[in-house]
Amino acid sequence: MELSIQFINVSKRYRIGSSTLSIRSLLTGRNHSQEVKHHWALRDVSFELQPGESLGIIGPNGAGKTTILKLLSKVTYPTSGQIKINGRFSSLIELGAGFHPDLTGRENIFLNGTILGMRREEIRSRFDQIVEFAGIGEYLDTPVKRYSSGMYARLGFSVAAHVDPEILLVDEVLAVGDMSFRKKCYERMLQLIKNGTTMIFVSHDFGAIQKVCSRCLVLYRGILSYDGPAAQATAEYSNILRRAASSKSEALLTADGALSQMVMTHGAVIEGVQLIRSDGQPGQTFKSGEVVHVRMQVRFNERAHSPVFACTVRQPDGQVVYDYTTHWANHPTPDFEANSVREIEFILRLNLVAGIYYLGVDLAYHDLSYYYDRLIRAVDFVVEGGDGALGSAALEAQFFVYEMKN
Amino acid sequence: MIVLNDLYKHRDLLFAWTFRTIRARYQQSILGGIWAIVQPIAIVIVFTIIFSRFIRVDTGDIPYVVFSYTAMVPWTLFVSSVTDMVDTLVANMNLVSKIYFPRDILVIAAMLARLLDFTIASSILIVLLFVYQMPAFTISLLYIPLILAIQLALSLGLGLGGAALNVFFRDIKHLFVLGLQLWLYATPIIYPVTLIPERYHTYYYLNPMAGVIEAYRSVILHASPPGNYLIISALAAAVVFLSGYWLFKRVEHKFADVI
Repeated sequence: MELSIQFINVSKRYRIGSSTLSIRSLLTGRNHSQEVKHHWALRDVSFELQPGESLGIIGPNGAGKTTILKLLSKVTYPTSGQIKINGRFSSLIELGAGFHPDLTGRENIFLNGTILGMRREEIRSRFDQIVEFAGIGEYLDTPVKRYSSGMYARLGFSVAAHVDPEILLVDEVLAVGDMSFRKKCYERMLQLIKNGTTMIFVSHDFGAIQKVCSRCLVLYRGILSYDGPAAQATAEYSNILRRAASSKSEALLTADGALSQMVMTHGAVIEGVQLIRSDGQPGQTFKSGEVVHVRMQVRFNERAHSPVFACTVRQPDGQVVYDYTTHWANHPTPDFEANSVREIEFILRLNLVAGIYYLGVDLAYHDLSYYYDRLIRAVDFVVEGGDGALGSAALEAQFFVYEMKN
Repeated sequence: MIVLNDLYKHRDLLFAWTFRTIRARYQQSILGGIWAIVQPIAIVIVFTIIFSRFIRVDTGDIPYVVFSYTAMVPWTLFVSSVTDMVDTLVANMNLVSKIYFPRDILVIAAMLARLLDFTIASSILIVLLFVYQMPAFTISLLYIPLILAIQLALSLGLGLGGAALNVFFRDIKHLFVLGLQLWLYATPIIYPVTLIPERYHTYYYLNPMAGVIEAYRSVILHASPPGNYLIISALAAAVVFLSGYWLFKRVEHKFADVI
């Protein structure tokens, strides 16, 4: 059988910086300037996909996931290497791309459908299905600018999912919409896979990938570091994070945007955050239910009167799993002198189901009027094991069957 | 041929995008399509007052209003379509950077959308011809599709080339706006060609729009076929069209990375 997708030693380089291009270099395709800086979004990536296979792609921000989708959809072209695609594809890279706010839902279905490569007759024949799936029946002749963002996304997904593609590319678009719609989207994706559609699904959300994909790629800084069953990709992902952390934690934290740091005032600065196991070793992979010590080093540049410390665990889709602050817990904190460095520790029991989580820490004024410092995503960690349950909280269900005495 | 085939395959998108452009332009406006005639009429009124009251311009036995409006309708199509085309890729960068489709569709649709304005403005021209009892319907009108085709080829060449360059250098858009303003004066729109000394005519007609506008006047107002100058216009339009298309195709693959 002919391969559906073939990526052969593909590399993609982007220019960075705002240096202007000369007309000559534009036409000859050569760069005459020596000062142009480049960034390799992908380096020498190869993989193949059989028709009907579903492939997940996971990796931290800046790993090159979206670049792969853009290359596949021919929006951009590789700097070197070769890409072969067999079959008609549709992409869910941006829902409702090309929607015009002033046009009605009906008009936008036709517009968006033709942008995605459908013929008018095809759209007409699937029109009722599209409308029904999106659930916008009564608003069909309302301009989409009056739609809620949820309706907008539903309509966008619905059109793209009805292109009847042989290859479907899905970016992290499902973060929008409510739970029931997301469920519907996954069901539609599974149905398309069952019908033989080849699928590539890019996400931060490992749970979502495991639901839909059998195989998974792990990307880290443009390099393909794992290609295999989706079930083992979590472990590989955590390995990568651990390796990167041990090689140079600074690089991990600053180079690829894995950490977003918003210093509000410079009164106190969080200088480092580590996750420590009970045996005193640092780690980024933990068993469900394991106790972990979150240690942070804080430099106080000015006197801080009873500041508020907080730590937050989030899921990759941004959903807060646990948000603890000393303020809400009525836990008194001492005053700190200017020009001192202190180590602060939270102890957490990770009653979480298997998956990837982001840990954030904050340091705020005693009255919560300002942040001293705030790291929304200071460290990523992986929870393994547990009882295979989905969701976020590990409630350690037990199961029994009893005889009834009558 | 490949180009035409590609366009044919995506004709539904071409029409859908043209429709979208038209709808979007006149959405939530009271006058709507009337705006298509407000602009040429306003300019013609101003010029008529200036050139038939204060500075006398000799337009033979043709009233100045008819004389200038006949030229202003196709000229407005030229200016508005080229301006729209040059801006269209950047204006739709969200689409260009996310989804693949032949990018020239956006540019061509921008031009097609202006043809509606052209049609509306032309209907006023017909009214004018009746009012001033010009010999409106003669066999020479059959030249109009040819003249229009030459004009559109020229516009498309400029539009494609300009749109492609505008992705890389946003100066291009401003350059086009300025250039088109100056171009008006190098073209016999508000004055007759007879104002230009005969010995300069060879150079004068190197401006392809000069031949195009003169041809429109000839077939509409004088009921006579266009002169040889239209051949120069046709050749120039062909060269501009091919270079514009070549340039567009040459850099098309870089759009998404740069835009």
